[in-house]
Amino acid sequence: MSAQDDQTVVTWNGSDPGGSGSGEPGITPVPQALDIRFTGSGSEYFRIWIVNLLLILVTLTLYLPFARARRMAYFQNNTLVGGDPLGFHADPWKMFRGYLLVLALGLGYWGVSNFLPHLTWIALLVLAVLWPALWRASLQFRLRNTSWRGVRLAFVGDMKAAYLAMLPFFVPALAFALLLPDLGEGDEVSEEMAQQAAILGGVVTLGFLAFMPWLWARIKRYQHGGYAFAQERTRFGAGTRRFYGLSAKIAGVSLLVMLALGALVGVLFGVMAAAGTMSLSDLGRGGGGGAGWVFMVGFGALLAMVYVLWPLIVGSYVTSRFQNLLWSHTESDHIRFFSALRLAPLVRVNAVNWVLIALTLGLYWPFAAVRSARIRLEAMRLEIDGDVNAWVGAHQRPAGVIGDAAGDFLGIDMGL
Amino acid sequence: MVDTPGVLHSQWFDGRSPRARAIELRIDAGELWLRTVDGEAAERRYPLKAVRWPERRSHGQRQTELPDGSLIQHSDAGEWDAWWRDQGLGEGLVVGWMQSWRATLVAMAGTVAFLAAAWVWGVPWLSTTLAHLVPQALEERIGRTSLEQLDALFLKPSELPQAQQDELRRRFETVVKASHPAGDAPAWSLYFHKSDILGANAFALPGGAIVMTDELVEMLEDEPDAIVGVLAHELGHVLHRDGVDMLVRSSLVGALIGVVLGDASTLMATLPATLATQSYSRDAERRADAYAAQVLHRAGLSPSVMALFFERILEAEGGEAEEGEADSLPISIASHPGHAERIRYFREWAPGS
Repeated sequence: MSAQDDQTVVTWNGSDPGGSGSGEPGITPVPQALDIRFTGSGSEYFRIWIVNLLLILVTLTLYLPFARARRMAYFQNNTLVGGDPLGFHADPWKMFRGYLLVLALGLGYWGVSNFLPHLTWIALLVLAVLWPALWRASLQFRLRNTSWRGVRLAFVGDMKAAYLAMLPFFVPALAFALLLPDLGEGDEVSEEMAQQAAILGGVVTLGFLAFMPWLWARIKRYQHGGYAFAQERTRFGAGTRRFYGLSAKIAGVSLLVMLALGALVGVLFGVMAAAGTMSLSDLGRGGGGGAGWVFMVGFGALLAMVYVLWPLIVGSYVTSRFQNLLWSHTESDHIRFFSALRLAPLVRVNAVNWVLIALTLGLYWPFAAVRSARIRLEAMRLEIDGDVNAWVGAHQRPAGVIGDAAGDFLGIDMGL
Repeated sequence: MVDTPGVLHSQWFDGRSPRARAIELRIDAGELWLRTVDGEAAERRYPLKAVRWPERRSHGQRQTELPDGSLIQHSDAGEWDAWWRDQGLGEGLVVGWMQSWRATLVAMAGTVAFLAAAWVWGVPWLSTTLAHLVPQALEERIGRTSLEQLDALFLKPSELPQAQQDELRRRFETVVKASHPAGDAPAWSLYFHKSDILGANAFALPGGAIVMTDELVEMLEDEPDAIVGVLAHELGHVLHRDGVDMLVRSSLVGALIGVVLGDASTLMATLPATLATQSYSRDAERRADAYAAQVLHRAGLSPSVMALFFERILEAEGGEAEEGEADSLPISIASHPGHAERIRYFREWAPGS
């Protein structure tokens, strides 16, 4: 596997994705197709993972940001866009500061919610107020520390838009806080009040579900509309309607899969019941318990199969369609992204991953991560108009002294 | 591609333009010399310490970050590593570690050993220590809040006559005093409540509040010593601060499993966390049982009265499950040890055991 990968790296590097030959000024440029290849290897990532894990445990998680930096560098350096790898430049010590902040927030929240439960709402409020800013800082940090052909990417979405995009997420919490009747001061809850609360909860949850695609579209529009490379800035072209369409399809597919699996179980159950009664009557006097036992085990296996198959199929469907929707509608003046992640190969990869993870008690996990990254990344490609070599980085500053002070100082990276 | 010894032909990006430049690299007198060989020739020098070298791996290209924000990108990893080795520059310990399978296996063994040690000693020690650091006032407040919540959800006012409540309280007080002649028993307060949902039950809350249901009192009406035994068991939880201890413990276990499984699914993470927490909970129950036996013994009562309590419970559940099955099957997921095991424990209890 490694020989093949290395060879590809070399041949790709020989060609020049900048296309200096075709980039005559004044002539309508021919779009250049850049494909994405992932050259990471499961066995190498396994070694990285194990050593990282031990160091994280021994340092009581203080090593986490360093391990994370190494992992991200591995995945990005092995992602070749048009033959050139992505660079990862984050300073692990800055990520360490960010980690301490997140750790402090998390511990604070844990302490308050467990020891001073009546103050939990304050902690939640603080978290909610900070969250969009943290989210943006994390996007900025991640993009700014990623490069392609030596030029840093950037995230240019502004603070106000981040808050506007996230704000509706807090409406349900607010609705609960304002509308929920005060839970009994000492007295028991009356049935009427419990009913009221349940109805309210149902309404708010349903309303939230109905607005979910809209919320999702807002967030993704902000995120995918803020990426920048050199003079290019991305736009996100998918309207809210597409998100509703996808949600409807997801609901339909999950229902269909559920019905199909239900039918399958029903048929098998019937077959087994028939076989069961037959063996019962055959065994007659003594061995009825044995047949019942076989029956129980078989039924348990069936149920487990349904529990695994349903998320396998529906989860893969969501992953593939969502990635395609997001990236096929992301473009800038001279760059277009395409994603054609197909369902069947993804289901195959996920199924193999799950089985092997279960069989190896989790040791297969790093191999699975690499396989999954490969299939998802290699389903994507880019098209570029004109000569990349002539582009000039608009936001180029040396690493470390740049940009939004807080985000960079703290190296906030929440892995979004 | 190396013609002059020590010189490496490579590719460089200036950090402003995505255009690749051909360069020659060499190391001399503690500095990295970089000379562009296409277009106008220019030479740059960087102190070696300021350069961020790539980690050696068997896959991927080599990217080297320079202090001015420019980037050397070398596609042939083997060639780069060979050049690098020839320069006699050292690499981080961890990098070599990750390239060796033997060292990786050692790390794996180390990880397993660490997790096992954390499980057996680390988590119990840390949570017990932390639990005893929580101030009494805070603990009482936690207990009060949970009692209020329980009140609203599960509990109704007791229907036991006040005289009976006082009699039980007095009886328990005597036993506690007798078993703690030095007066070092933890502070406790006893509440009786009726509860259709909880049935015959008793529990201790952080801060020393013990709640017992009317249903349990009725079940053991003829055996007040068994009631005292149950209360002593709950006092054991108070003494060991098990409420706060379990809270800290389950959080620690959750954090530990979160670290190991990382970004794996939450479902995969919650199952082991639940199992682990339940196992710790069974340990806490056994400790409280041992304490209850001690208290009864010191007060001159036989710990075997507690066996009676479990037998009655078994009897009450009897309609639903046969004895053997109910005990053996769900032991790995139950929060309490099996009834049969506990009956045996109290029957066979002897001072000093």
